[in-house]
Amino acid sequence: MPLKLGRISQQMQDMAQTMANLLPAEENLLERARDCLRSIHADALCEKLEWQSRQPVRMPWLVAMPRSLPHASLPTGLTDTTVSPPVPPTFSVVGVDASSIPPDRHSSVHYYLVNVGYALLTYGRDPDAILEASSQLCFRDEDLYVFPEKRDVPIEGILLSARMEVEALRLLQQVPDLGTWPTLALLDGPLILWTLQNETQEVQRALLHGFLSTMGFLKETGVPPAGYVSYTGSRDVANSLRVWLCQGQPNECDRCASDDRELCLALAKIRDRELYAFLATGERSQLFSSSSQILEEYGEQRVDFFYMNVGGEIVRVEVPRWVASDADLLSFVHAAIYDQCQRSPGVPPYPPVLQEAHEQAVITAPERRLVEGMVEQALRQYGRRVVRSAKEDSKRRRGV
Amino acid sequence: MRIGEIVETMSTGFVAESFELNRPPPLGGLVVVRLPGGEASAGMDVYAVVTYGQTGGLDPSRRAVRRSTDTVFDGAIYQEHPELNRTLRTEFGAALVGFAVDDRLRQHLPPQPPPLHFSVQTATAGEVQRFTDHLQYLRLLLAPYGQVSPLQVLAANVREVYQHRGQDRVWLSAAAREIATLLKNDHESLLTVLYAIDPGQVPPSVGRGQVPSSAHEGAPA
Repeated sequence: MPLKLGRISQQMQDMAQTMANLLPAEENLLERARDCLRSIHADALCEKLEWQSRQPVRMPWLVAMPRSLPHASLPTGLTDTTVSPPVPPTFSVVGVDASSIPPDRHSSVHYYLVNVGYALLTYGRDPDAILEASSQLCFRDEDLYVFPEKRDVPIEGILLSARMEVEALRLLQQVPDLGTWPTLALLDGPLILWTLQNETQEVQRALLHGFLSTMGFLKETGVPPAGYVSYTGSRDVANSLRVWLCQGQPNECDRCASDDRELCLALAKIRDRELYAFLATGERSQLFSSSSQILEEYGEQRVDFFYMNVGGEIVRVEVPRWVASDADLLSFVHAAIYDQCQRSPGVPPYPPVLQEAHEQAVITAPERRLVEGMVEQALRQYGRRVVRSAKEDSKRRRGV
Repeated sequence: MRIGEIVETMSTGFVAESFELNRPPPLGGLVVVRLPGGEASAGMDVYAVVTYGQTGGLDPSRRAVRRSTDTVFDGAIYQEHPELNRTLRTEFGAALVGFAVDDRLRQHLPPQPPPLHFSVQTATAGEVQRFTDHLQYLRLLLAPYGQVSPLQVLAANVREVYQHRGQDRVWLSAAAREIATLLKNDHESLLTVLYAIDPGQVPPSVGRGQVPSSAHEGAPA
């Protein structure tokens, strides 16, 4: 076995000891960060963030701007919480997920496969479950390239992941009788497709088109969509605290001589889920708007978010603004997500509807080999043969 | 009545997925697979005795986990987790004990296993009566198959048939004598079966005896 487990084992011990040594200092800084969070008035933070956004130098971090519901005043503190409301007597939750067999650079045949699945679970007097999946083999130029007429910008890597998100959401348009009851549409992951941020505007628009039109369809149907981010790594609120503490320019930390410098640098390593660990089970934080640049393309589907304690985990929930601006829809999203997590047999919990959607969407290793074999067989029938790179061939043979 | 679909089949028996979750046919019950005739062959009814029932995850890699809470338990779990009706499955196994072609009943293994994906039906009361008029099939039940002891399957079958035949004590005595013959060299096993088929009174006398003549009519060759 080439892997030198003995040596790695010692390194693991070193890593664990280093982390243990850092723990007291980290906990101290985290407590100071929470004190900071508790001490700030939401309106004062908004003012500072707005002032900062007007500065010629763009903010180097994603920040969270506190939001209020229409006709309601802005919560005074950033630590204001809302307890989970009750769910309606009868309601549905539909979860969607996607997986893919990506294009193989080492094969002469260029294609990819997207499998999207959904689970529609209805609770109340007549409980019901529908579990379905839909697959598509993508091999035409219009599938393989963002701009097929020029055969430009191949859909792979980040773009394929974004395409999967789009296809998963679009699947909701095929769900029968969607919206018969109050229904929540839950996605596994963010609604803010920030991975497209570094793409050109044309690429962003081409990929977002199906996503945003489906969000429009959901708005017409009265079905609120929500992105569920488990174990969120985002730091938007922590970054807002850094802007609050900053007395100069946020991109000139090297020259900073502030007394808060240590706390500010600590905030760079603190996740929002750690800041909001004070939320009680079922509670959500207040609403925030995101400064993610990709949201410039979202128009009326602009996305806001909140954090909530689902019982053992702080998750990030993203909703379009038309949901965030409707107290009833927002309450339903909050209640249905908490209800889902209470139905989960796991600790920490995970919405069963997303687990079942995943089970529908997942492509197993044997299925991947089966698809590959079927493609080769189909090609052989038409006199074509799959040619693989020498490297790939060598990996498969593994001769000794 | 169709109760399941064959998902695994072999010369000695088959495994079927039950149409109803948590409700496999009773252990020892007689089931039948009806095979339509073709141009060159007659139709065949293949009989089998249920040897086990089992409920678990539809995907074998997903094990069932505890779902109950202080307020939600037993049947309410299925109300609160409707996806369970789509992610669990009940299967049952059955040992082949005979077949009928052109109204001729045979109590030995059929020439071929029943086809995969064919329906499994409960045998009608008339079929149970007619099939169990002969007791040679009990021998097939003593062959080892699956997790449940053949002795328990044999006893379950006798109990089921006894009830289906309207608590037919004459038949029960004949079956007990047949079993006594089959297990004459294994006293402990014989007692195991006799205790298990005792309908509540003193077990029928054990000893080599004759099946009533009426039960022999039309007995297979």
